[in-house]
Amino acid sequence: MNEWRRERAAREARIEAGRAQVEGKAEGKVVPADRVVALLEAILRPGDRVCLEGDNQKQADCLARGLVQCDPARVHDLHMVQSGVVLPEHLDVFETGIARRLDYSYSGPQGARIARMLYGGQIELGAVHTYLELFARYFVDLTPNVALIAGVSADRDGNLYTGPNTEDTPTVVEATAFKNGVVVAQVNEIVDRVPRVDIPGDRIDFVVEADKPFYVEPLFTRDPAAMTETQILIAMMAIKGIYAEYGVRRLNHGIGFGTAAIELLLPTYGERLGLKGEIATHWALNPHPTLIPAIESGWVRQVHCFGSEVGMDRYIRERPDIFFTGADGSLRSNRAFCQTAGLYACDMFIGATLQIDLAGHSSTVTQSRVAGFGGAPNMGSDPHGRRHPSDTWMKAGREAGGVGDPSLMRGRKLVVQLVETFGDGLVPTFVERLDAMELARKIGLELAPVMIYGDDVTHIVTEEGIANLLLCRDADEREQAIRGVAGYTEIGRGRDRAKVEELRGRGIIRRPEDLGIEPLDADRSLLAARSIKDLVHWSGGLYEPPAKFRNW
Amino acid sequence: MIDRLADPTSASWYEASARARIDGLLDAGGFREFVGPEQRRMSPHLPLFDLPRAFDDGMVVGEGILDGRPVLVAAQEGRFMGGAFGEVHGAKLVGLLRAARQRKPAAVLILFDTGGVRLQEANAGETAIAEVMRAIAEVRALGVPVIGLIGGRAGAYGGGGLIAGTCSRLAVSESGRISVSGPEVIETNRGAEEFDSRDRALVWRTMGGKHRRLTGGADAFADDTVAAFRAAALNLIGRAPAFDLATLEAEQARLEQRLARFGDCREATEIWSRLGVNDPAAVPATTASAFDALLSGLGETTHDAR
Repeated sequence: MNEWRRERAAREARIEAGRAQVEGKAEGKVVPADRVVALLEAILRPGDRVCLEGDNQKQADCLARGLVQCDPARVHDLHMVQSGVVLPEHLDVFETGIARRLDYSYSGPQGARIARMLYGGQIELGAVHTYLELFARYFVDLTPNVALIAGVSADRDGNLYTGPNTEDTPTVVEATAFKNGVVVAQVNEIVDRVPRVDIPGDRIDFVVEADKPFYVEPLFTRDPAAMTETQILIAMMAIKGIYAEYGVRRLNHGIGFGTAAIELLLPTYGERLGLKGEIATHWALNPHPTLIPAIESGWVRQVHCFGSEVGMDRYIRERPDIFFTGADGSLRSNRAFCQTAGLYACDMFIGATLQIDLAGHSSTVTQSRVAGFGGAPNMGSDPHGRRHPSDTWMKAGREAGGVGDPSLMRGRKLVVQLVETFGDGLVPTFVERLDAMELARKIGLELAPVMIYGDDVTHIVTEEGIANLLLCRDADEREQAIRGVAGYTEIGRGRDRAKVEELRGRGIIRRPEDLGIEPLDADRSLLAARSIKDLVHWSGGLYEPPAKFRNW
Repeated sequence: MIDRLADPTSASWYEASARARIDGLLDAGGFREFVGPEQRRMSPHLPLFDLPRAFDDGMVVGEGILDGRPVLVAAQEGRFMGGAFGEVHGAKLVGLLRAARQRKPAAVLILFDTGGVRLQEANAGETAIAEVMRAIAEVRALGVPVIGLIGGRAGAYGGGGLIAGTCSRLAVSESGRISVSGPEVIETNRGAEEFDSRDRALVWRTMGGKHRRLTGGADAFADDTVAAFRAAALNLIGRAPAFDLATLEAEQARLEQRLARFGDCREATEIWSRLGVNDPAAVPATTASAFDALLSGLGETTHDAR
C-alpha cells in the first residue's frame, strides 16, 4: 500500500463494509430505510468526525434516528461537526457515548439542554462557530470522515436534488467527498430522473430512502397580526434615519419583528418618502413572507437565499426574476454563498438581539441557554477584507472618522441593532453585564458567546431614538449614546442628561421628532399587510402558509 | 399628521379598538358613553396580582344612533386582558342591559371580543356572565332584539360564547371565533390528538366564523370591515325572532336534529359535505362574496339554533 493513499484505502474499506451490510437489498446506491443502522455501524469508526446534517431549517432526521440506534460498543467517541444542533437525537448521541466531542454553530431549540450537558461534562465542546467559520474549518482541520445529509430526491446513481432548502449540503459534501470521506444521503423519494442535479452522484456513496419526508422548520415567518405600534415606530425611524440617509440598497435583515415591520412599511411609508428604487433593492435574505408586498410593488430587484421558507415554494417558482432558481424552476439556496454575500456584498446588516451592554456588545444567550449563532455574527461584522467602494460604505467610513489621504480611507459596513428597550416579559434589553459572560464562566468557555461585538455595531435603534455610534469619538461617548436610547431601563435612567443632550446636538442621538416622525403616526394601518391572509392575497394565492400561521 | 392609508369605510374590524368599532358602527357623533374612563371605575382585584388596570376595565358601554334609531351598545376591548369578564367589566354590561328594559331602544348591540372570564376575579366574572344571560332574556322578552357582533382577535369564548348563544341574532366574520372551551383548554384536557391547538387551520375550521355561519350558529357573515358589520347589524335587527315558547321549542328541535345529523362527524369538513358543500376543502380560502353565494345555494343555514 502506498503510504500516500492511506485515507483513500480506508474510505474504500468503509464503503466495502457498508455494501456488505446491504448485500442483495440495495439497488445501485439505494439502501432501504430498515438497513440504516447496519449501514452506519459498518461505515463509522470510533473517533470519526461526522457531520449529521442539521441546518437551521432542514434536518437529516431519518439518519439521526439511525445513528442514535447504533451500538455504542461499535460506534463511539464520534466528533460531531455540524452547523445545527436542533433535533433531540443530535444530543441523545452524547448521552449514550456514541459521540463525545462537538463543534457547531446553532442550537436554537436545544439551547437549554446543550447548556446542561456542557455543564454536566457530557459534551466535550470544541467551539461555537459562526457559519462561515465552521464551513471554513471543514476544509482545514474539521474535515468530516462521514457526512450524513438530506435531500428531496435521488436517482439510483446518487444524483441528488436537494430542493429549495439546499442550505449547507453542497459545502458539507464538497469537504467530505473530495477528502476521502463517505457521504450518505437520505431522500424523501427515489426517482428515475431528478428534477435537477444539485449534487452529482459521484459524490454520494449511499442513498437512503427515508421513512418520512425530512422535517423543515418555518423559522422566518413573522405574522403581521402580531406586529406592535412600537415595532412600527422603530421601523419608521430606521427607514428614515438610516436606509434613506445612507441610501442602503444592498442588505440583509434579521428574523425579528422589527425588520419584518420594515419589510411591510417599504410599499407604504417608504413609498411616501419617495425611496422606491433608492433603497433595499438587493438582498441576501431567506424568502421572508413579509417581503412579498415589497416584491409585488416593485421594490426588490433580487434576493439570494441561505435556505427556503415553508410555504414560499410556489411563489418563488413564479418570480424567477427575483430569486435564484434552477432549470427545474425551484429555488436554489446555498448557505455558504449567501453568508459570504451577506458579509462582503451587503452594505448593511440590521437585526434584533436580546441583550446589549454599555460597550455595544450584544448576545442572545441567557444564563440557561446556549443558542449558538445564526447568520448574524458573519453578516453583522465589518469585513476588513472588503475592497470595493459604495456610497453607503464610504459615507459610514467618513463618519467613523477616517483621516489621512481619502484614497487610503476604508469604508464601514452598517451594523444596526433594532431593539425595544424592554423585551418579552418586560426584561430590559440594556444591561451592565451580558449573561453570556456568566454562562461562559459557569461552563468554562474561553470566549463568551457574543453575537455582535461592540466595535462592529454602528447604530442602535430603539423606540426612544437612534444612537449613531460611528460618530462617537471615545468610550464615554459611546456609553452615553447607548444610555441615551435605553429608555426607562436601569441603564437608560443612569444617563448623564447634559452629555446626552450634547450628543443629540451633534446628531449622535436622534429622537423621532428630530427625524420628523410623529410617534402617533406609527399605526398598524401603515403595514402593507396586517395578517398572513393579506400576504396570501399579495402573492396572488401563491404563498401557502403553514397551518400554525393561519386564522381561516 | 401624515394621511392614514386606511380608507375609513374599509377599516378592519379585527384591527380596530373597541372605541373605533363603535365610532364606525354608529351614526357619526351620536355616541354617549356611560361610566366612561374619566370615572376610573377600575378593577378592585387586579392590584392584588400586581397587574395593570384600565380606566374602562376593557368594556365600553353607552347609547347612540344607528341609522337614525336609538340603540344601546357594549364593546369589549380585546387588547386589555383578552377582553375577559371581571367584576366591573361584567357589571357595566349588566347595567346596560337593565337600562334597556326601561329605555326600549331599537336594539342592544354587543361587540364581543373576549376569551371568557378573567381568572383573577373569576367568581365576580362568572356571576356577571349569569346576570348578563338573565338580563338578555328579559330584554328580549320585552321585544328588544339583542345583536351580537363577533370579529375580534379574542373571538367569543368561555362565558362570552354562552352569552352569544342567548342573543337574538349573531353576525360573525371569518376571523371571528365562537366557542366555550378554547383550543388550548381542549388540548390540555384531552390531548393534542383530540385537538391540536397549534393547527390554526383546524381551530378556524372548528370554531371560526365560516363554520359557525354554515351550521347556523351565526345568522350573518360579514367581511372584516367596520362597514360590513354595520350593514349586518342593521339587517339582523330587522329580522330578529320573537322570544316566545314557539321559538324556543323550534330551537330545541333543530338542535336535536343537528346532533342526529352530524353527531358522528369527526371534522368540520364532513359536516360541510353533508350540508351539501361540493368542495369542503376549498371553503376556508373562499372570499366573502363567494362564501355568500355558497350560503345562498345551501338554503338551510338560517335558523335559530346555535
